[in-house]
Amino acid sequence: MANPLVFVIEMDLHAFKQKVLPVQGRLFRLAKLFLRNREEAEDTLQEVLLKLWTKRQQLETYQSVEALAVQMTRNLCLDKLKSHANRTTEYDADLTAVQAAGVSPYQQAELSDTASVLRRIIGELPEPQKLVLHLRDVEEYSFEEIEEVTGLTVNNIRVILSRARQRVRDSYLKTNDYEAGY
Amino acid sequence: MKQDIEKLLEKYYAGESTLEEEKQLRDFFQGPSVPAHLASQAGPFRYYAEARAEQPSLTVNKRLTDQLSSESRVRSLTTWSLRIAASVALLAGGFAGGLYYSNRFSDQLNPTETSSALAIKKVLDFDQSAQTSASERIQAVNQSYELPEASQDITQLLINTMNFDENVNVRLAACQALTRLSNETGVREALIQSLKIQTDPYLQIMLIETLVSIQEKRAVDEMQRLARNRQILEAVRLKAEEGLNRLTQPQNRSAS
Repeated sequence: MANPLVFVIEMDLHAFKQKVLPVQGRLFRLAKLFLRNREEAEDTLQEVLLKLWTKRQQLETYQSVEALAVQMTRNLCLDKLKSHANRTTEYDADLTAVQAAGVSPYQQAELSDTASVLRRIIGELPEPQKLVLHLRDVEEYSFEEIEEVTGLTVNNIRVILSRARQRVRDSYLKTNDYEAGY
Repeated sequence: MKQDIEKLLEKYYAGESTLEEEKQLRDFFQGPSVPAHLASQAGPFRYYAEARAEQPSLTVNKRLTDQLSSESRVRSLTTWSLRIAASVALLAGGFAGGLYYSNRFSDQLNPTETSSALAIKKVLDFDQSAQTSASERIQAVNQSYELPEASQDITQLLINTMNFDENVNVRLAACQALTRLSNETGVREALIQSLKIQTDPYLQIMLIETLVSIQEKRAVDEMQRLARNRQILEAVRLKAEEGLNRLTQPQNRSAS
């Protein structure tokens, strides 16, 4: 490369990708947890990565780039939800996904069984419970990592997590019972 | 095993389980041997394991890479444009410099405007003094009066002539010419300096008179030296004393 400046930027880009891109699955799943829509989650992910890119010079000063990225993703999602005024995209997304697959209403009911029901149940949890449960049970974060992202104390996190898990279990069992009865 | 799982579940719902224990639970519920009474609870654990595998589509990665590399392309473009701007500026600077110098040069060579200046230079040139007569040089010095404005070169030439011309009359003429130019930079200093160098009484007197007339107080020290120097002609010493008085009197007056 003749131009050393371009070379430096490409080095930069390479280092940035190595640092940030492994986290993108996490950020995507988190965005999807909040937004309940795949496209919107991908858009959000991209926004976060671009923000991180513009901040790349300061990234060294952060203890954990991942914690920063997770916080950014969560904040961006909450902003979006606020501006959407809670437009229920979940319904639409599920519907289009099912319609696209070209399945019958009967199959639809079956498909919506586990994953959709749980997605809805978790999506309906209050914000701290949703986030903590997701970080712990899906992303397998340690309590210290959750502490870093949320700013909550470990004791607090345990309490929130316990409530979230019980709520998911109860809601899930209730839905299953209802469907079994139906 | 069943006992363990039930205990683990208890810890799990209390938020007390470790990551290791939670992994055990997920593995258990994904396995084939889930007893009937626990099967209803399997859903969430299976879902979490499934959800963890979910990835953004490849288009995101591609879009991002495109965007970032296009940004770096833009950046490199700006650095290129900066480079171009810098080289244009450099070229422009070079042209301006060249123009300026060639203008100066052509000014010097311009025969209609500064032929007299050129003539003065030619005659007064130190190397030429052997070939020019004293009267020619005096004429050249007097020509400087006709110049609309004295250039640095002419001033310096006159100073040199005043200090070093072999003929005292030429030196006197140069000194007189410089008196007129006393507002030019360096002329006053040159006159003071010349007072130290000159040994000819005529010139010394003229310098003293000139310095007094332009109220150059920095010449006081040199005049004091002259006034005290016994080897110097008495007329010069008296002149120096008179000059000293005239230079210092206004000061005293303003001080009192």
